[in-house]
Amino acid sequence: MVIRIAAVGDVHLDEDVVGRFRPALEQLPGNVDALLLAGDLTRHGTEAEARCVAREFGGLGVPVIAVLGNHDHQCDQVPQVIGALEEAGITVLEGDGVVLDCPGGRLGVAGVKGFGGGFAGRCASDFGEPEMKAFVRTTTESADRLSEALRSLDCDVLVALTHYAPVPDTLAGEPLEIYPFLGCYQLGQAVDAAPTALALHGHAHHGTERGTTPGGVRVRNVAHPVIKQAYSVFHLGDHLDQGEVSGVAAGGIQQPWS
Amino acid sequence: MTAHRDSGAGPPDEYVEAEIHRLLTEDPAVAEQGITVVRTERALVLHGEVESAHRREEILRRVADRFPDVPITSDIGVVRTQAPTEIEQLP
Repeated sequence: MVIRIAAVGDVHLDEDVVGRFRPALEQLPGNVDALLLAGDLTRHGTEAEARCVAREFGGLGVPVIAVLGNHDHQCDQVPQVIGALEEAGITVLEGDGVVLDCPGGRLGVAGVKGFGGGFAGRCASDFGEPEMKAFVRTTTESADRLSEALRSLDCDVLVALTHYAPVPDTLAGEPLEIYPFLGCYQLGQAVDAAPTALALHGHAHHGTERGTTPGGVRVRNVAHPVIKQAYSVFHLGDHLDQGEVSGVAAGGIQQPWS
Repeated sequence: MTAHRDSGAGPPDEYVEAEIHRLLTEDPAVAEQGITVVRTERALVLHGEVESAHRREEILRRVADRFPDVPITSDIGVVRTQAPTEIEQLP
């Protein structure tokens, strides 16, 4: 049983980027079960930019599931952004999840944008000025929504999709001083509170690809400047069937990563 | 690397570095959070990757307009968008 996922974040689309991803995206049908987008789909979060995302990532022939990022909030047009994406058949998650029936089993994806806050021992606390308390409450409420969504899904393989990072491992390369703006440990706690197989995030352009939560869940930073390709492909399952890997190779995604 | 402006004005002020960093994010024509500003003896060096050549040019233009006397060197790349050649298997 193998579930095949493609993922990328931080594509920051506007008119000047439309068409750059499409040739690679057209290799997805038949090779993956879903494409996951880890936020910052646009530059400023305008409806016009969201329509660029819809043109580039819509109508691909594979389910596309997204969360929004901080850039997608910049112009306060979130409902219009979500509307444009959903019109193109892209599922946008924020504190909820979806289960896809795939040939290799049921893939559950729970998603939330997430927020900053920092990591254990070096994080903001719900204390002091109202502004600081509001900041930390945004963090905890977001993580609570992710936790609830992850635990609500009935599936064979469970994936957590966020924009902000759930662990500091995948931030290596970023200045330590900005870690509290890149993620929070509460998202990691939510991932670990459910039988999560993989956590995907973006946001940290100078970070690194691989990390693990304290509970042992694999984390991947799929920010476009980190992966330096149109998307990364992950195969998840109890065992990996060599025949299926070969089938993928025939489609242009050539080399299994052992 | 592209030498964008002659150096010689001395080490740029730390506050200029901070202002450039904020401009890169807050200027609607740029809106980039992934560009690093590194202060060297000769110039401020901009590192990072953007999604199009147009954006790279716009960054240099906006920074030069706002800080005409600051020597700037650019090492900004455009992120590749080819399909992957490898799959990560997660048993």
